[in-house]
Amino acid sequence: MKQHNTAGPLELDSLAISTAPHTPSRRPWSVGAALGAIGYGYVVVVIGFLYLPILVMALMSANASPLYELPFHFTVHWYQALADDGVLKAAAFRSIEIALWTTLLSTILGVMASLAFFRYDFAGKRFLQAMLFPPMAIPWLITGTAMLIFFFAIGIGRGLHAILLGHVALALPYVIIVVGARLRTFSPELELAARSLGASGWQITWRVTLPAIAPGVVAGALFGFAVSFDQFVVSYFLSDPGETTLPVEIYSAIRKGFTPEINAISTIIIVVSMGTMLIVSRLYRFGGEQ
Amino acid sequence: MALIDKVVKRALTCVMATAVLASFAAHAEDVHVLNWKGYGTDEPWALKEFEARTGYHVVNDFFNSEQEMLTKLRTNPGAYDVVMVNSAFNQQAREQNLLQPVDVNGMPNVADLDPKMRHSHLLEIGGQSYGIPWVWGVTSFAVNDTKIHPVPDTIQALWDPAYKGHVGMRDDAIEAVQFAALATDQNINDIKNLDAVKSKLKALTSQLKTFWSSENDWNQYVASGVFYVSTYWSGSAARARNKFNLPVTFVIPKEGAIGWLDSLSIPKGAHNVNGAKAFINYMIDPGFYTQWDSRVGAPVSANTKAVAALPAAAFNRAVLANPAVQSRIQFQEPITDDKRRAYLQLWQEIKAQAD
Amino acid sequence: MKFALSSPQGRPLVRAMTLAGPAYMWLLLAVFLPLSVMLFYSFMSDVPTSGGNWSLTFQNYLTFLDEPLYRKLMVRSLGLSAQVTLICTVLGFPCAYMLAKVIRGRSREALFLLIILPFWSNGLVRIFSWNMVLRSGGVVDWVLNHLWPWPVDTDLMFSYPAIVIGLVHSYLPYAVLTAYLSLQAIDDSLIEAARSMGAGRLTILRRLILPLAMPGMLAGAVLTFVPVVGAFMEPRLLGGRKGTFIGTVIEDQFVAVFNWPLGAALSFTLLALVLAILFIGMRLSRRKDK
Repeated sequence: MKQHNTAGPLELDSLAISTAPHTPSRRPWSVGAALGAIGYGYVVVVIGFLYLPILVMALMSANASPLYELPFHFTVHWYQALADDGVLKAAAFRSIEIALWTTLLSTILGVMASLAFFRYDFAGKRFLQAMLFPPMAIPWLITGTAMLIFFFAIGIGRGLHAILLGHVALALPYVIIVVGARLRTFSPELELAARSLGASGWQITWRVTLPAIAPGVVAGALFGFAVSFDQFVVSYFLSDPGETTLPVEIYSAIRKGFTPEINAISTIIIVVSMGTMLIVSRLYRFGGEQ
Repeated sequence: MALIDKVVKRALTCVMATAVLASFAAHAEDVHVLNWKGYGTDEPWALKEFEARTGYHVVNDFFNSEQEMLTKLRTNPGAYDVVMVNSAFNQQAREQNLLQPVDVNGMPNVADLDPKMRHSHLLEIGGQSYGIPWVWGVTSFAVNDTKIHPVPDTIQALWDPAYKGHVGMRDDAIEAVQFAALATDQNINDIKNLDAVKSKLKALTSQLKTFWSSENDWNQYVASGVFYVSTYWSGSAARARNKFNLPVTFVIPKEGAIGWLDSLSIPKGAHNVNGAKAFINYMIDPGFYTQWDSRVGAPVSANTKAVAALPAAAFNRAVLANPAVQSRIQFQEPITDDKRRAYLQLWQEIKAQAD
Repeated sequence: MKFALSSPQGRPLVRAMTLAGPAYMWLLLAVFLPLSVMLFYSFMSDVPTSGGNWSLTFQNYLTFLDEPLYRKLMVRSLGLSAQVTLICTVLGFPCAYMLAKVIRGRSREALFLLIILPFWSNGLVRIFSWNMVLRSGGVVDWVLNHLWPWPVDTDLMFSYPAIVIGLVHSYLPYAVLTAYLSLQAIDDSLIEAARSMGAGRLTILRRLILPLAMPGMLAGAVLTFVPVVGAFMEPRLLGGRKGTFIGTVIEDQFVAVFNWPLGAALSFTLLALVLAILFIGMRLSRRKDK
C-alpha cells in the first residue's frame, strides 16, 4: 500500500522552499516561520478537539460510577466485566469482520465505478451520478426499513448476509465520491499517453492510474470501513436476534442498563485501531514514487 | 455371537434414535420471546429457573417502540412464540392479524389473575383471550427528594417555575397529550379541550431541560442533577431506588396518573405454542414475580396472589394496590391511527416552537 | 473539460457499463429497489397490511405544502446543515493544507492516522461523551472555573450550539481528508514557480491552491451536507427540547406512529430538495469557471 505520495518530483526541493520565504518580505522576521508555527498550533488544536470526547470516553471507562458520576474513582471493573461479556465481544468481532468485507467489496466496486465516470462520457452518466445521493440523503431509518421490507418480500430475509448487502450499498457512494475527487486531480493525458505506447486497458489501470490515485483509494476504503463499522440503523433492522453487530448492541444497551462497559470496549477498539494503523504505516514506508 | 451382535445393534439404534430425537428436541425446546430489553423476560436467573423447570430454552429479541414491535411481527412470521403487547395496542395487533387466541388450559396461574384485567375488553374478544395480563403500572412523575421537599402531591409541580430548567419528560406525543389532559382535569381517553392541552404543553416545554428516552437516560439525568422532577414509570422508579440507589420518590398526584397494562400474547404462526404457554404461566407466577420485584424492581403483577406475596412495605403492594390510589388511575384505551397522528403533529408543532 | 477515453475495442458506453455495472447492480438490489417500494408507499394513504384499506393519493406530498410545520423544519435542517458544512470546510482546510504541504515525514503519517481514528469510535458513545464535556459540571465547565477568577456555570448541553458541535466533530474528518486528497496532488513545483514569479502568499492561495483543491473541498462539503440534513441522532441527544428537525420528525413517523407513507413522502421531498441544491450549486460553479 503506497500512501501519501505527492505527484510532484521536487519534494526535496520544496521542503527547503516552503520553510523559507522567497518573496521579498517587508518584515524583519520570517512570516513563513510565523505562519508555520501558527499552522502547527492550529493542527494541534484541531486534533485536540477531535479527541476531547474520545479521551473523556476512555477516562470514563475507568471510572467506578455506573452512572457516569464524578468525582472520579479509578477501577478496572468494567474491563473485567467486558472480559466476561461474551455477547459484546462476539458483536465486536462480527462488526470488524463485516466492516472488512464491506471495505473490500465497496472499494473494488467503487473504484471501478469511479474510473468509469472519469474515463467515459455516456448517456445517463449524470443520472447515475445523481443516484449516488439517495443512499446518503435519505435518513438511514427509511432506507433500513425499506431494506427490511424488500428483503423480506423477496426472500433474502435478515442476517449477516443482509447486513453485508446493506453496508456495501451504503459505503459505495462515499467511495465513489472520494475516489472521484482524487481522479479529478489526475490528468487523463497520462492514460492516453500510456495507451499510445501500446499498454492495454488493464495495464493502464494497474500501473498508471491506480498508483497515482492511491491516496484516494485508501481514503475511500477508510471511509467505507467507518461507514460500516459505525452503522447501526440499517444493521439494527437487518440483524438476527442472536447475531448482532457492536453498534446495535451498544444501542440496545443504551436503552436499559448502559454501563461503562460500553466505554471500555470503545476504548479498546480505538487503541487497537491505533496500534494496527501504526504497524501498517511502519511496514509500508512512506516513500516518493513516480 | 449372533445374540451379542443383535444386542449391540439394538443398543446402537437406540442410542442413535435418542440422539436424533434429542437434536430435534433441542431445537423444538426453544421459546422465542419478543419484549423490551431488561423488562422481566430476559432476566438470566429467571431463564435458568424456567429452563430447569420445563426444559425450554429461551431466546430473546427486543424492540424499542410499539411500532417496531408490530413491524417485527409482520416481517418475521413464525419467528416468535411470545410477544409482549401493551394492551392499548392489542386491538391494532389483532386487526393486523398478528396474534392468535391463547388457550388457557394448562396454565394454572391464570386463575389467580385479577378478573377485571383478565376479562378486560382490551384483551378478551368474544370469550377468547388474545393477551394474558402480565403487569400493570402507571406513568406519573418522580422527584429527586433531596432537591425537592416536601414531596408535592399535585401534577402542577411539573409546571412550577421554581423548577424551570430541571424538568424532564419522555418524548412521546401520546404521553405528553395525556399528561396535559390530566393537568387540565380531562379524561385522557376522551379529550374534549385540545386547546387547553396545547397551551399546557407549550408551557411545559419551556420548563424542560431535555427529554429522556430510556431508563438509563433518566437515571443518569437524575444522578447528574439535570432533573429535579420528571415523568417516569412506576416500575422503573422502583428500580431507580432499589438498584441504582437514587433518592427518588414516585408520586401519584391527586389529579391522577396514566395507567397501562402490559400483556403477553402468542403471535400467529408461532412454532412452539406449548413452550409459549409455559413461559407465560411462569411470568405470572408469584415465585418469579416476588424475585423480580425484590431483585430488580417491577411494575405491579396482574396476579393478585403474586402481589399479596410481596413484603408489606413494597411500593407495588402498599401504594399501587391501594384502592384509593387505584381510583385515581386512568387506564389507557386504544387510540385510532388518525388520533395518534393528530396528537403527533400537535406535539411536533409545539416542540418545533421551543424557544 | 473532460476527455472521453475512447478505446479501440467497443463503444464507451459498453466499457463504462462493465466498470460501473457491478457497483450499480449492487445498489439496485440493496438500495434502489427497496427505496422504490418506499416511493410507492409514499403515494398511499396507508401501508397495505392485512386488514387495512389503502388508496393512492398525493396527500402525503401535499401535506408538505399544507402544513407549515414541515416547511419550517426543512428550512431549519437545511440551515443547520449549511452551517455545519461551512464550519467543517473552513476549519478543515487549513488543517489539510498543513498536512499536505507543510508537515513532512513521520509526523505527517502520524497526524493523518490521528485524524482518521475518531471515525472508528462508536457514534453514540461519542455523543454521550460530548454530554460529559458540555454539561454543567462537565469538562468545559470545570476548565473554565479553574481558569476564570470568579465562578462560572456553563451548560452547553441541550442547545443548538451543542448540536452543531457534535455534528462538526463527527464530520470534520471528512472535510480534512477530502481537502487533503486534492491538496496533496498539487505539484509543489507549481507553487515554487508562482513564488519565483513574484506572487504573494495570498495570491498563490487564492488563484492557485484553492481552485486546485476545489474538487476535494467540494467532495467533503457534499459528504457533510447531504447526511446532516437528515440527521436525527445528534439533534435528539444533544439538542434536548431544542432538537426538533426534519430528521427527527421523519423518524417519528416510523417509530411513534405507523405513518410510513408520510415519513416516506417527507424523505423523498428532502431528497429532492437536496438534489436541487446540489444541482444549482453545480450550475453556479460552472458559470464561474467559464
